[in-house]
Amino acid sequence: MRLFFLIAGVSLAADPRQLLQTHCGSCHQGAKAPGGIDLSAFDAPWSDQRWVRIHDAVRDGVMPPNGRLQSGDRIALLRAIAEPLTAFESMSDRSVLRRLNRYEYESTLRDVLQAPWLQLKDGLPEDGLVARFNKSGNALDISHVQMARYMETAEQALRAVLKASRTPVASTRYYARDQRTFLTRMRYSSFNNHPERATIPVLGFDAQPEVLNEKVPLTNAADREREAFVTTASTYTGNNYHFDKFIAPAGGRYKLRFNAYSIWVHTIWGPVNHKTRPAWWRPDRERTSKGRTVEPVSLYALARGGEKRFLGSFDVSPEPGVQELEVTLLEGESIQPDAARLFRSRPGFRGNPESTKEGTPGVAYRWMEVEGPAKQPVQFDMTGDVAVTVRAFMTRVYRRPPTAAEVARYSAIARNDRLAGFTAVLCSPGFLYLEETPGRLKPEALAARLSYFLANTRPTGASFDKLLEDPSRFVNPFLDYWLDLRKLGDTTPDVTLYPDYYLDDLLTESSLFETQLFVQELIKRDLPVRNLIDSRFTFLNVHLARHYGIAGVEGVNMRRVDLPEGSVRGGLLTQASVLKLTANGTTTSPVLRGAWIMERIVGDPSPPPPSGVPAVEPDTRGSTTIRQQLDKHRSIASCAACHRKIDPPGFALENFDVFGAWRERYRSTDDGEAMKGIGKNGHDFTFKLGLPVDASGDGFRDISGFKKLLLQDERKIARNVVNQLVTYATGAPVRFSDRPAVEAILDRAKSSNYGFRTLMREVVQSPLFTHK
Amino acid sequence: MKITRRTLLRGAGVALGLPHLEAFAQAKETPRRMLAICNNLGVLPGGFFPTKAGRDYELPAYLKEIAAFRNDFTVFSGLSHPDVDGSHASEVCFLTAAPHPANGGFRNSISLDQVMAEQIGVKTRFPSLTFGVNVNRGQRSLTWTGGGVMIPCEDSPSAIYKRLFLQGSAEEIERQMSRLKLGESIMDSVAEHARGLKKDLGARDVERLDQYMTGVRELERRLVLAREWEKKPKPKTTAPEPKDPADSRLYMEKVRLMYDMARLAFETDSTRLITLFLDSSNSPAIDVEGVQITDGYHNLSHHGRNESKLAQLTAIDTWHFKLLNELFAKLKAVKEDGETLLDRSMVLYGSNFGDANKHTTDNLPVLLAGGGFKHGQHLAFDKQKNHPLPNLFLSMLHKMGIDAPKFASSTGTLL
Repeated sequence: MRLFFLIAGVSLAADPRQLLQTHCGSCHQGAKAPGGIDLSAFDAPWSDQRWVRIHDAVRDGVMPPNGRLQSGDRIALLRAIAEPLTAFESMSDRSVLRRLNRYEYESTLRDVLQAPWLQLKDGLPEDGLVARFNKSGNALDISHVQMARYMETAEQALRAVLKASRTPVASTRYYARDQRTFLTRMRYSSFNNHPERATIPVLGFDAQPEVLNEKVPLTNAADREREAFVTTASTYTGNNYHFDKFIAPAGGRYKLRFNAYSIWVHTIWGPVNHKTRPAWWRPDRERTSKGRTVEPVSLYALARGGEKRFLGSFDVSPEPGVQELEVTLLEGESIQPDAARLFRSRPGFRGNPESTKEGTPGVAYRWMEVEGPAKQPVQFDMTGDVAVTVRAFMTRVYRRPPTAAEVARYSAIARNDRLAGFTAVLCSPGFLYLEETPGRLKPEALAARLSYFLANTRPTGASFDKLLEDPSRFVNPFLDYWLDLRKLGDTTPDVTLYPDYYLDDLLTESSLFETQLFVQELIKRDLPVRNLIDSRFTFLNVHLARHYGIAGVEGVNMRRVDLPEGSVRGGLLTQASVLKLTANGTTTSPVLRGAWIMERIVGDPSPPPPSGVPAVEPDTRGSTTIRQQLDKHRSIASCAACHRKIDPPGFALENFDVFGAWRERYRSTDDGEAMKGIGKNGHDFTFKLGLPVDASGDGFRDISGFKKLLLQDERKIARNVVNQLVTYATGAPVRFSDRPAVEAILDRAKSSNYGFRTLMREVVQSPLFTHK
Repeated sequence: MKITRRTLLRGAGVALGLPHLEAFAQAKETPRRMLAICNNLGVLPGGFFPTKAGRDYELPAYLKEIAAFRNDFTVFSGLSHPDVDGSHASEVCFLTAAPHPANGGFRNSISLDQVMAEQIGVKTRFPSLTFGVNVNRGQRSLTWTGGGVMIPCEDSPSAIYKRLFLQGSAEEIERQMSRLKLGESIMDSVAEHARGLKKDLGARDVERLDQYMTGVRELERRLVLAREWEKKPKPKTTAPEPKDPADSRLYMEKVRLMYDMARLAFETDSTRLITLFLDSSNSPAIDVEGVQITDGYHNLSHHGRNESKLAQLTAIDTWHFKLLNELFAKLKAVKEDGETLLDRSMVLYGSNFGDANKHTTDNLPVLLAGGGFKHGQHLAFDKQKNHPLPNLFLSMLHKMGIDAPKFASSTGTLL
């Protein structure tokens, strides 16, 4: 069979190397041959990706330059590459044996044990990537370190579930006035002698100077329900407190109820003897009144050592009220509230951006009620007959019925130590590895593939639509890698250039949710993929809306918002998360942004820069713009060949700063117009507004024009989405010979205008998915 | 007792390819150690950083205290951990370099000593030890495992001494042994399971499963080695059991005792990896010989250019280096195969604060002694655009014989 192919290949088409030498040999010769393709010594095997690059460059007319190739010669050359390459690829399966990645491991265990509160993936080593996803067996390695973590993780998960099942549900109210950390912050000490970093005792809307000065007890029975502690700042190092009397007794699902409200604290107006400067903006801890703002409050699960896991956010208004949240907690965690919109004073601070001479906003905490942990079932029997319980567990955990030998093997361990038996099952290849045989996948393997694609967990017999009922189970892990959303918190806006949103966790969190909810909506409603480039809606809360300059959105909850006519905020390219990820906190690089967008969203990756070209040092002092610095990209022909494609999207996005806010002028440290204001860190603005932004390119004036250009070829956008989906779903990137199957998917999705959900449905019906 | 494949083979005297401890010890490898110390209030920059770079820099005031070891240490300037801000919160990141420790959503990552412990920890009775002075019990530490667990600091020198030299009870030993045996049997069973699957797979898939089996076997080997340790008696020492200082004011005494325990641990090869967290910030007005300390350590550190505070801080910092001088001398006095214990122990001394007065986390004071590196210089990096401290950590990993491509946000090596 193989020999026939090879012979057939030779007789049907000419040797591509000869054709290449004929048409391309004049430039592509020698050690310094362009593109690393030296035809004088080119004997790359068919597995070498350069063959695909050569094929595509010739197909698209990029090479040879200046259209020197006749049509007939082009067809012959393309065929001379395509046929043997296809034949070569057909000799091996697309995907290779792989283990579960960290996300899948965590998800599966959560479902198997019915313990959605388990936090497991961060305790496992990071997964290797192929084509940007953590789904390929070639990069999902295992070492003894991994095995040790699997054993440890599995055992701890089982023990945590047992503990949770033995912990009775309790419902307790924790008053702010009883919390030691709130009280510590009320008192000045060597660690704190600033009123804005101190808590304020209030009764209703009124400050309690006698309590503050400790002339009377901190709390009394008659007033208990109306007592509260107020903060005028966001929780941060230097202003830390939490509900310390509550420590989660076991992992589990908990209901939290918060009684809190916003309040107004009057500022000390007029000169005050505080060192040598009047401190008009400082809160007067003896004068408060009814709140004037709606404030968002975020909750974090606080672990020993200071780790903080986001739990959720809600609004508090001037009227005291109770908010309820359902959260998951681990044993030993406490709850830390954060008045997220307020400022975070950093050493050397000179003001509070929220303060006016009328006063400053604050949040008053009355109490927190915790109910939980919710009843925890145990899906592994610790007392019944060993073989029976082991078989039951393995049936639950494996994606196929266990064999008698397998049951016997793990029963032997379980007889010695029951928990060790279950741990062993969770370390075994039957659990860790997806079993797929060559050719058409068996029903169990197909079910597993479908389930891990759409819901990141083991199969339960659910259909395509049932699995997508909660699209976040697919969207969130998919976007973590397709768009690198997992790296969103890696950089922070530079403190000098962006003091207004340096330290703004609420903005980072909101921008993450926007992108996740947006793509979830595309799937829920099967919206066309062109929405990825431009859409009429997005998901916002008040904070993000303000960041975008969009009026009419109130409250911290994210909700779908129709964008005003002419808004630039439709589509992924102009979402804060994407813009933040493609910048570095200090400067934006059109090249990096452009290359990222071309690769991730348009599906047109750029080759890497040639070696020996130094990186451009962005000029934050403001004397030149990045466009001026990148001028060589246009003026030198060999640079322009690639940068003609890379630069335009990047320049189109120059109107967006490091966190995606719209800008007409660059911020600089030296040159430009001084700006008045105070940052979230309490420091005066020292940046200047400098040179104007020029976002134009060939064929467009700004980002809206660029989006229109991209939308001229919707099929291309859809093709990229399909390529990403196939890589994610099958653990193997799209190969050359897979392209016809991809086009077939696109053909079938055309009538729905390439609806996102439709594309997914077509992918799972394609032989790319149903075969190994 | 159940006859397993394992017991059969052992009984028959067949070599399983699992090296016993003696064979392991005979292998010609140089034991290398690391003691990593973080003083979470740092030092006054003026007394620590030399002005000139290179070999013939003038020793600033603090480094004069360790002048005798000038060729045994390197002093660095212009180093910091990229994106590690957050004031006091940065202390848990000194050995991890995890970014933005004060932000919501912060998750720490594996510390340098634990990366090393995962590879070489099995060579000693204790893979690593975690010490602290005046640490808020169980709340802060420099050591974070790969599994995301913070290892609390041991703050009692006598408890450390007992752990190093006093035999555990028979029950404790038996308990540990059965735990380890269980681990071995788990690994054994999954390896057999994998072997059974191989016959149905194609060549590329078999390769993947082989990797799994190698990982399993490697872990099994380590568990066996750990179990051998349980059976061995603990080392003997002539050093007397220390008495724990009664009070957190006796900070310097505690530091000295911790250095002693670290040296004893290295001398007896009980462990090769120790972290020591000096929680200066959590310390009161400490006792310093010959100087009247009028204020809590943290309050002093916010000196605001006050003359009296600066003088007290200088006295405190000087004592830190006097104690380091003693430590280096004692390590150098111990001989091991023609080298000294100092040659074989990397001693890292630094802080998460570059300037505690301003709470800045750049331009960190970093000193590295011993370990077999070529020392004797001031390596100066750009004070405006700092060089990544993780690059030094990567060099240290390589010196440990660990072939890692990177550590956290490293961009290369340093030494």
